[in-house]
Amino acid sequence: MFKQFISKIPGADTYMVTSFLIFSVFFALVGLYLIFADKKHLDHLSQLPLEDQ
Amino acid sequence: MNISSERSSNVTSSEHARLGHPLSGPPTDGAGLPERFAYDNRIVRDFGIATIIWGIIGMVVGVLIASQLFAPSANLGNQYTTFGRIRPLHTNAVIFAFVGNAIFMGVYYSLQRLCKARMFSDLLSKIHFWGWQLIIVSAVATLPLGLTTSHEYAELEWPIDIAITVIWVVFGINMFGTMIKRRERHLYVAIWFYIATFVTVAVLHIVNSFEMPVSLFKSYYVYAGVQDALVQWWYGHNAVAFFLTTPYLGMMYYFLPKMAGRPIYSYKLSILHFWALIFIYIWAGPHHLLYNSVPDWAQSLGVVFSIMLIAPSWGGMINGLLTLRGAWDKVREDAILKFMVVGLTAYGMATFEGPMLALKNVNAIAHFTDWIVAHVHVGALGWNGFLTFAILYWLIPRMYQTPLYSKKLLNAHFWIGTLGILFYAIPMYISGFTQGLLWKQFTPEGMLKYPNFLETTLQLLPLHMMRAFGGVLYLTGAIMMAYNLFKTMAAGTLVANEPAEAPALATVFVPTGQDTYWHRWFERRPMQLLVGSLVVILIGTMVELIPTFMVKSNVPTIASVKPYTALEVEGRDLYIREGCVNCHSQMVRPFRSETERYGEYSKAGEFVYDHPFLWGSKRTGPDLHREGGKYPNAWHFHHMQEPVSMSPGSIMPPYPWLLAQKLDVELTTKKLLALRSVGVPYDDQTIANAPADMQAQAKTISTDLAANGITVQSDREIVALIAYLQRLGTDIKK
Repeated sequence: MFKQFISKIPGADTYMVTSFLIFSVFFALVGLYLIFADKKHLDHLSQLPLEDQ
Repeated sequence: MNISSERSSNVTSSEHARLGHPLSGPPTDGAGLPERFAYDNRIVRDFGIATIIWGIIGMVVGVLIASQLFAPSANLGNQYTTFGRIRPLHTNAVIFAFVGNAIFMGVYYSLQRLCKARMFSDLLSKIHFWGWQLIIVSAVATLPLGLTTSHEYAELEWPIDIAITVIWVVFGINMFGTMIKRRERHLYVAIWFYIATFVTVAVLHIVNSFEMPVSLFKSYYVYAGVQDALVQWWYGHNAVAFFLTTPYLGMMYYFLPKMAGRPIYSYKLSILHFWALIFIYIWAGPHHLLYNSVPDWAQSLGVVFSIMLIAPSWGGMINGLLTLRGAWDKVREDAILKFMVVGLTAYGMATFEGPMLALKNVNAIAHFTDWIVAHVHVGALGWNGFLTFAILYWLIPRMYQTPLYSKKLLNAHFWIGTLGILFYAIPMYISGFTQGLLWKQFTPEGMLKYPNFLETTLQLLPLHMMRAFGGVLYLTGAIMMAYNLFKTMAAGTLVANEPAEAPALATVFVPTGQDTYWHRWFERRPMQLLVGSLVVILIGTMVELIPTFMVKSNVPTIASVKPYTALEVEGRDLYIREGCVNCHSQMVRPFRSETERYGEYSKAGEFVYDHPFLWGSKRTGPDLHREGGKYPNAWHFHHMQEPVSMSPGSIMPPYPWLLAQKLDVELTTKKLLALRSVGVPYDDQTIANAPADMQAQAKTISTDLAANGITVQSDREIVALIAYLQRLGTDIKK
């Protein structure tokens, strides 16, 4: 029904796979960074808005 | 420039003591001797007042346009106040004037305190404030005059676009300057959101404003058709993301802990929330163009990333709501927290609904209907409006050192505002479902059950009346707030320079905790955060936009599609001036219900000369892409003169001035030259003969009208508009 708009460009699916990979890698890196983040330090950061009260 | 620390001399020790700022400040790493300085509250107050005033103006225009959708007389019988022209005024006023000023208010207050520094430059703060107000005034002056580019939420013409860029840069310098001279080493997560806002809005605004000027107030986008649509909705979607969402999340992360007196529920979640949100949001733009003439892969990409967007959005909402764990007794007593809770809940609802609307099967029903209007207003009224109100109620009494004038009024505002949202959203949802389903309803014989589009519009009028009532309730609440806050200001005295003190940062940083290298690398350095945010948003942008521009097969051309004639170009510009795109789409989707009603579905190749694209996002009236040749010229003439004469009961306003006003052809040749420079293949002969060709085509139309008993000079605007309407969607039939 929608054939005209289904892209025939070579490797269109590569965009999907690449996009997914970019996101997965990025998300994994942020996740790792959070796992190894220092809790005390983060607690200190979370107190910053309250410091002038 | 008047730099902050110089201000410290304005604040005496006794003022410090009076305002409860003991000289023993909080411990800071690398602490040197305590320095005294003062926070600039005046600029925060100024942005606050602008927020209140523009908010009320924007909402009044909102109620007016809501009324026009059931009472055409509310168009006020002149060309400057028709729905098509002032609907952009409403959206610009609430987005850039109300929300924009509120963002600056929140950023200027919280950034100074989180950085323990006055804003970088008082002069830049003033230029920013007055420059932004001037931009808003220029929007108010130009939009009713019909000076518009027609890109939704980016309607302002090119000189104003340049002014926006300049003022945005001023804001950026002021913001980063403050961060550079800060006295707190660590950048709290709210500031990350502000940085992402700054950099992304800059990119969005610049890319979506590439226009070829014709005159001071007329330009054409360099993009056409599909590309223009993709750029616009990449912009439009991310304007929601990075103007209506990220700065408010930053403000939520600062003000909610202040209001609740406790830190954010999970700082880790806030970091995950930040990176995931800014990464994913940028990809989701094409969900505004599902079943439109854009490449299938782009649509699918938009759908997938929209679904993924639920996770970070809800992460933020949950983080906000759980901050109030153990403090719900405060919520019961404090209407400011109530505003925050409803605001966060509205954010959660809107960000769940958004991905659902991005599913193709749901979008098939919802697109072009009131459902989308309901969806955006849950976000605008609930999330942006209620958070803004809460912050105003919290800030003004503090900056004026006096209790709020009336807590009763505050409570009343909360309830009337909440009722306003309900009265707005519920009828619009019902209207949206009804509209979407009526358009698709077939009889058992396989014919459209409601072949006359107008019939479906008229069914919805009672719901539109209820929506306007909801708007009036919400506006009443805002007026009550204005009264309450202005009374509070009158009772107190502004602490224009609020004294504060903090030790200067040591030049050498000695890490004290176990924080990781990468964390320190990012969260202490604003420029790294800026570059990091930029890289993250550019990834999605490039994957989405570049193939459509670079790969020719993405937009299959159609040999019979030719550029518009000079008269049609002028007619198209009238269509743009009158804002027809605000009620009429030009995009027949590939559904039987649409091809039965309108004709052949729209192809990407049909729009290659459309600078700008005019696909629209809402059908208050029927689609017009296959309008060409559907009715005689005389029908259009009568219809524009008095719509009800051709469509009894129509809610379209009359356009009698098109019959009276002479078409301005002074710029026609320049327009063709501008269009040629952005890729429309007009040859020299076409451009040289444009005036004569235009007259000849106009004469044909006026002669045909005369044959049908209508006397009109061929140089009137209506003739050009008819020429354009009769051309619409006809090329593929040749």
